[in-house]
Amino acid sequence: MKHKSTIVWLQGLTCNGNSHSFLNYPQMPSFASSFEMIYHPLICGAQSFSTVLESNEHFDFLIIEGALSHDERLLQRFGIPFYEILDNFAKRAKHIICAGSCASFGGIFRLRDPEKITGALFSGKEKGGYWLEKSNVVNIPGCPLHPRWLVETLFALRDRDTLLLDEFLRPKEVFAYLAHHGCLRNEYFEWKVDSKQLGEKEGCLFYEHGCQGPMSHANCNKILWNGVSSKTRAGSPCLGCTEFDFPRRALFETQKNMSLPQTPFGISKRAYYTVAGVAKSFKIERLEKKLIDENH
Amino acid sequence: MKITKEIIERIEGEATLELEWDNEQVTFAKIKFFNYRGIEEILKKRPLLDALALTPRVCGICSHSHAIASVLAIESIFENQGESLHVSQKANDIREIALNAEKIHNHIKWYFFSILPELKRVADPTYHGNAYKEKQWFQAQNAIMESLKMGAHFTGQWPHGSFVMAGGVTCDPLQSDVVSAIGCLDSVISFCEEHFYGMPLEEFLSFDSALQVMSVPSALSYGIDEMLKQGFDRLGRSYDRFLALGKSYMYEGSLKASKTAVLGADVKYVQESLEHTFFEDKHKGYTYSKSAQYKKSYCEVGPLARLMVAKEPLMRDFHRRFKDAALTRVVARAVECAHLIARTKQLLSKLNLKEPSFYPPKKDIHSLSGEGVGIIEAPRGTLIHQVDVRNGVIELYNIITPTVWNLGNGNRENPSTAQKAIIGLNSFTKADFILKSFDVCSVCTTQ
Ligand code: SF4
Ligand code: SF4
Repeated sequence: MKHKSTIVWLQGLTCNGNSHSFLNYPQMPSFASSFEMIYHPLICGAQSFSTVLESNEHFDFLIIEGALSHDERLLQRFGIPFYEILDNFAKRAKHIICAGSCASFGGIFRLRDPEKITGALFSGKEKGGYWLEKSNVVNIPGCPLHPRWLVETLFALRDRDTLLLDEFLRPKEVFAYLAHHGCLRNEYFEWKVDSKQLGEKEGCLFYEHGCQGPMSHANCNKILWNGVSSKTRAGSPCLGCTEFDFPRRALFETQKNMSLPQTPFGISKRAYYTVAGVAKSFKIERLEKKLIDENH
Repeated sequence: MKITKEIIERIEGEATLELEWDNEQVTFAKIKFFNYRGIEEILKKRPLLDALALTPRVCGICSHSHAIASVLAIESIFENQGESLHVSQKANDIREIALNAEKIHNHIKWYFFSILPELKRVADPTYHGNAYKEKQWFQAQNAIMESLKMGAHFTGQWPHGSFVMAGGVTCDPLQSDVVSAIGCLDSVISFCEEHFYGMPLEEFLSFDSALQVMSVPSALSYGIDEMLKQGFDRLGRSYDRFLALGKSYMYEGSLKASKTAVLGADVKYVQESLEHTFFEDKHKGYTYSKSAQYKKSYCEVGPLARLMVAKEPLMRDFHRRFKDAALTRVVARAVECAHLIARTKQLLSKLNLKEPSFYPPKKDIHSLSGEGVGIIEAPRGTLIHQVDVRNGVIELYNIITPTVWNLGNGNRENPSTAQKAIIGLNSFTKADFILKSFDVCSVCTTQ
C-alpha cells in the first residue's frame, strides 16, 4: 500500500469557514484512504498540537487557514506567537496550501489593519505578505474555499509533478473558469436582460445587483456548492470571494460609470459597450417572460 | 493558592482556561479568548447591505444565523422609520429551514465530533481519538453534509451563503428543489434513527422520561451512561436560569426561566459589559470576550434554555433528575435536534412556492437612517445584531453572540454561567468537559 500523505492544518485569524467547508467533502472515505490528518485544530487528528510542535518530523502538506501576522499581539496560538509556530511548521512541510481568501490574500480580516494582517505571499494584490517569497505555496482562495478545490489540489500535488498555477498561484483547473460559467442566468447576461428584482429565477444580476460572476475566477457554478446550488442559482449576486480584492465595498450594488456597469474580465470597454448596445436592442420575448408561466 | 492555565483545544477556535485552586478544588475560573478579528469595526462606514455578506464571516459554523440576524436588524430599521416590510410566509419558512439546517448540522457535528471523543478521553486519558479511523465518524459526516445540502437548495451554499434580503429571500425554488431537499433530510433522519437515538424519530419525540431514552442502545444512551459514570449528572450545574429571546415555533415571544418558572422577557434588559476585556483595559484585561447579562443576572442560553422555556416534557424530566448539570445540557442538543428535524420536514412539505420570495422596500436604502435590532435563536443560543445607520451607511454595528452569554467572565461575587459551573470541581479534565458542554465557539465570541 502506498504511504499516506500527511497533513498538518494550522489556523491564523479565521472564522473556521474553510475547515467546515472541507467537512462537506462528499467522498471523505476515499480522501482518508490516501491522506492522514496528523493535526487539525477542530477534528481529532492523530497527534496533539504539542507533539507536532516538538517533533522534527517532516510532513507533506501544511494547510493554512486564516489571515497571518507577524505581530504576536494580533495573532498567537496556544500562548505562542504565531510566527514561531508557522516558521517551525513551514520548514518541515513539502507543500504549503493557503486554504481560503484570508490565507491567500488577507481576506476580510486584513481590512482591520492592512499593514499588519496579510495573506501568506500576498497582501491584497501586492506581492509580499507574511513571506516575501516562497516557492512551495499554492493559493486556493474563496470565502470559503470549495472542499473539492482543496482535495483535488492535494491529490494533484501528490500524484502529479506539475500543477499549473496562474499569476496569483491559484490552480488553473479551478481558477481558469469564471463564476459566470455555469450560471443559469447566462442567456440573460448575453441579451442584457437584467433581473428586475431579487427573488426571481429570471434575469441577470450583473446590471443592478452587483454580480461579480464575470470578473471572478472560480468554477463554483460548474461544480456547484454542496453538490446542488450556488449563489447565483439562489438568486444572490456573486461576491467575488476568490479575488484578491474581496470584499469590495457595496457588494449588492453595481458600480456604474455614466450609468454603464464594469466590463467583464478580458474585454475592452469600447467593444463591450458597443456589443451590449446591439444586444440590448433585441427584444427577445422569451426572456421577458416568466420562465414557468402557469397560463401557457 | 495554586493557579493553572490550560489551552482548550478541539472547540471552535481555542480558549485558555485559567483555574485558581484551593485544597484541590477550583475556587475561580477565568475563561480567555484571544485572536480577535474585529468584524464590528470592519463594518463601520460601509453600506448597510454589506452587513448581510460580512457578518456571516463572524463564524464558519453558524454563518446563516448571522445572515438572518442581520437581515432582521435591517428590516427593523425600516420598521422604526415607518415602513413595515412585508415578508411572505414562504420567505419566512425558507429562513427557518435554512436556520434549522444549520442547527441540525451543528448538533450532530458537536455530539459526534466533539462530545463522544471527549467522553472517551475522560474515561481513558490515553485515548486521543482519530476521527478518520472510526466508521461512525464518516456516517456522521455524511449526515452533516446532507443536512447542509438540504439547506443549500435555498441558500445557494453553506457556509457563507447570502440568500436573505430586507423584504424576503433571494431564491425562487422549484418543486424539484423541495423534493430533493426532503430527500436530504430523510437521510439525516435515517442516520439519527439508526445511530443517534436508536429508534424511530417519532418514538423518540413521544418520550417524556429520561429512562425511556436511556433504555435503548444508541450513541446518545452511550453518552449518557458515560456521563453518569463520570458524575456529570451532578457536575457542571450553574444558576438554573435560562433565556431565549429569539422566536421559535415551540414557544411564544421572548422568554426566560428560573428553574421551571417561565416568564416573558424583553431585549431592553440586556446589558453588555466590557469588564475584564482588552477593550476596556489593554493591560489588566485578559480576554476579547465581552459578557452579557439580563437584568444584571447571568443566564444560560442555547438548546437547554430553549427547551426549558418551551416546557418540553422530556427535557423537563432530565432537568427534574439532574438540574442544569452537564449531562442535561448535552442531552438538550440531541433532543432539540430531533424536534428541529421533525419541524423542518413539516415546513418543507407545506412550503407554498406560489407566494413571492421578495417584496422590495419602498424606501431607498441609501436614505435610510435609524437604529435596528435583529434577534434570533442560533445553534448555541440567542444571537443579537444591533445596527445604527446614517443615510444608508453603517455608523455602528454591535453583535452579541450566544457564547458571550454563557462564556463571558463575571467576578468572584457574581461569576458567569460557565464560571459558576466550573467552580468547585476537583480536576482539570472535568473542567475541560464542563466548559465544552456549552458548545464553545471562540470565533463567535471574539468576532
Ligand atoms: S447573474 Fe452573475 S454569474 Fe450569472 S450570468 Fe449574470 S453576471 Fe453572470
Ligand atoms: S459565486 Fe462568487 S462569491 Fe460565490 S463562491 Fe463563487 S466566487 Fe465566491
